[in-house]
Amino acid sequence: MSGGRRVKVTSPQTRIALARRSRGVRGSLPLPGPADPQRAARVFREQRRAALRTVALLGLVLFGTSGLLAAAPAPADLTVSGLPLSWLVLMSATYPVLLVIAALHVRTAERIDARVPDPPAGERG
Amino acid sequence: MTGLLAIGLLIAASLAIGVYGVRAARTAPDFLVASRRVGTGRNAMAIAGEYVSAASVLGLAGLLLKNGIGTLWIAIGFTAGYVAVVALVAGPMRRSGAYTVPDFAEYRLGSPAIRKLCGAIVLVIMWLYLVPQFKGAGVVLQLVSGTPYWVGVVLAGVVVSGSIAVGGMRSATYVQAFHYLVKLVFIAVPAVYLMVHVGPEVRADALTPVGVPESWSRPLLDIENSGHPLLATWSMLLATTLGAIGLPHVIMRFHTSPSARAARRVGVIVIALLGLFYLFPAVYGLLGRVLTPHLVHSNATDTVAVVLPGEAVPGALGSVLTALVAAGAFAAFLSTSSGLLLALAGGLSHDLFGGRGLVGRLSRLRLAVAAGALVSVGLSLPAAHLDINMLVGWAFAVAASTFCPLLVLGIWWPRLTVRGAASGLVVGALTATGAALASALTEGHSGLVTVLLAQPASWTVPLAFATMIAVSLRGEPPAGAERAVLRLHAP
Repeated sequence: MSGGRRVKVTSPQTRIALARRSRGVRGSLPLPGPADPQRAARVFREQRRAALRTVALLGLVLFGTSGLLAAAPAPADLTVSGLPLSWLVLMSATYPVLLVIAALHVRTAERIDARVPDPPAGERG
Repeated sequence: MTGLLAIGLLIAASLAIGVYGVRAARTAPDFLVASRRVGTGRNAMAIAGEYVSAASVLGLAGLLLKNGIGTLWIAIGFTAGYVAVVALVAGPMRRSGAYTVPDFAEYRLGSPAIRKLCGAIVLVIMWLYLVPQFKGAGVVLQLVSGTPYWVGVVLAGVVVSGSIAVGGMRSATYVQAFHYLVKLVFIAVPAVYLMVHVGPEVRADALTPVGVPESWSRPLLDIENSGHPLLATWSMLLATTLGAIGLPHVIMRFHTSPSARAARRVGVIVIALLGLFYLFPAVYGLLGRVLTPHLVHSNATDTVAVVLPGEAVPGALGSVLTALVAAGAFAAFLSTSSGLLLALAGGLSHDLFGGRGLVGRLSRLRLAVAAGALVSVGLSLPAAHLDINMLVGWAFAVAASTFCPLLVLGIWWPRLTVRGAASGLVVGALTATGAALASALTEGHSGLVTVLLAQPASWTVPLAFATMIAVSLRGEPPAGAERAVLRLHAP
């Protein structure tokens, strides 16, 4: 036996829900809001824009590639070392593109998170 | 015999690593912190290990053999799903502190009633996902040991629920990371060997398949030659990409990362790991078209990855390769179905029948595991003829039509109301499961109807989103909704 104490594990959310249930109180959640609402709102808007951009790009890649293959089937004789080009797109070429899209999104999202708040002049006393 | 031995060794190794993992977790004062000490790379491996299921190891090669090259869009969709996860939910879900979708729904909307609704949908998705895993286990065991199909299914149910009841799997991120490696190596090594072994003639034949319908080489997915390949492809891409967002066992995994930032980064590594894995199933499908075309006629294409090595390489080496793939398939089945069964049992015991009761929480969870496994086994027995990927596709379609809109709107749109979320969930669940049922039970529709029923995401996902938005706009969002949303994005 190891000396470690066993701890009951509950998600923070479940804990709150259970506590509320046993108190018989309903209503808004006793969670603190963001420390700086203005900055949080700005971060939220920027993150939403970044997410929309990434999702649009993802849609373009997925639906664009398949749409292109449907509209203009690559000629059967178009091959890369014996492999038809269209097969290559499906077998391997799409994965690096997906990886790059995700990596770029993470970079953008982290930059938004890290940006030092710069409140407009005059709003802070 | 070699196959049975390999599967036995795999189960033994998994149990050993699981016991080690449990002990490592128990020595720490806090269970949660222990899981957060796991490095980013290993964490990503565990996520990929849980995500790559029998659908990927057996189903993809089988469906490629049967329906053609367009099948590979499914693998792309599985991977693209993680791009959507990284962009839309990973960070905010980590910050929400909600472990499950029902938890999140209650956090965001403050309504215990919606928790029960979500719990019921969790059951539907998890059963749709579990049945093909059990089918895979039954088929693989039948191949390597000759036992009837039902023996494998029942044994699978016993092994998975037994290992969860003992408590080995839950803490063991290690086991799932190990399973990712097993799957990758045991699929990749035989694939590369086969490619080299079969010689230039077979390789050339595999690239220019003869005796297949013209649509087989078309790089689009079609269903029973319905004549609407682009619609079928797009619908499937929509289901897999958005479905990944809403899969209950995927959401749980964000919490093994220490922060929202790490959760996003782990997602990117998962994409790399999935892309690496998905390079290999195609080999089995392409070579199978040349070497084992008879599987198409006997409607046993899901077995191609296991059958092929034995047919291509004679003698002892062939059986060793077969044993490797069989063990890889079993690893896929073990890790995925443990995660699924746990999510299912959680929904059953915590969200649906939680609250009061005479039975304690832990024994209720164990009871739920047993009940969930029993129902899955019962559903899997008559499912032998259904394609693994068809069923998994429906699980994704239901997730995409229910939890995806709930999470995406819940995270990014403060105006979502309880009534809007509930009606969207009901509409999405009814239409997506209804379409899947109709597709499985009825036949003889026109081409367009066939596609819309078998790949329902193209209309059920927009319908669910539209319902949630339209109903929400007519009501008042819950108090504090704005604050709750902002908090999900506060760095």
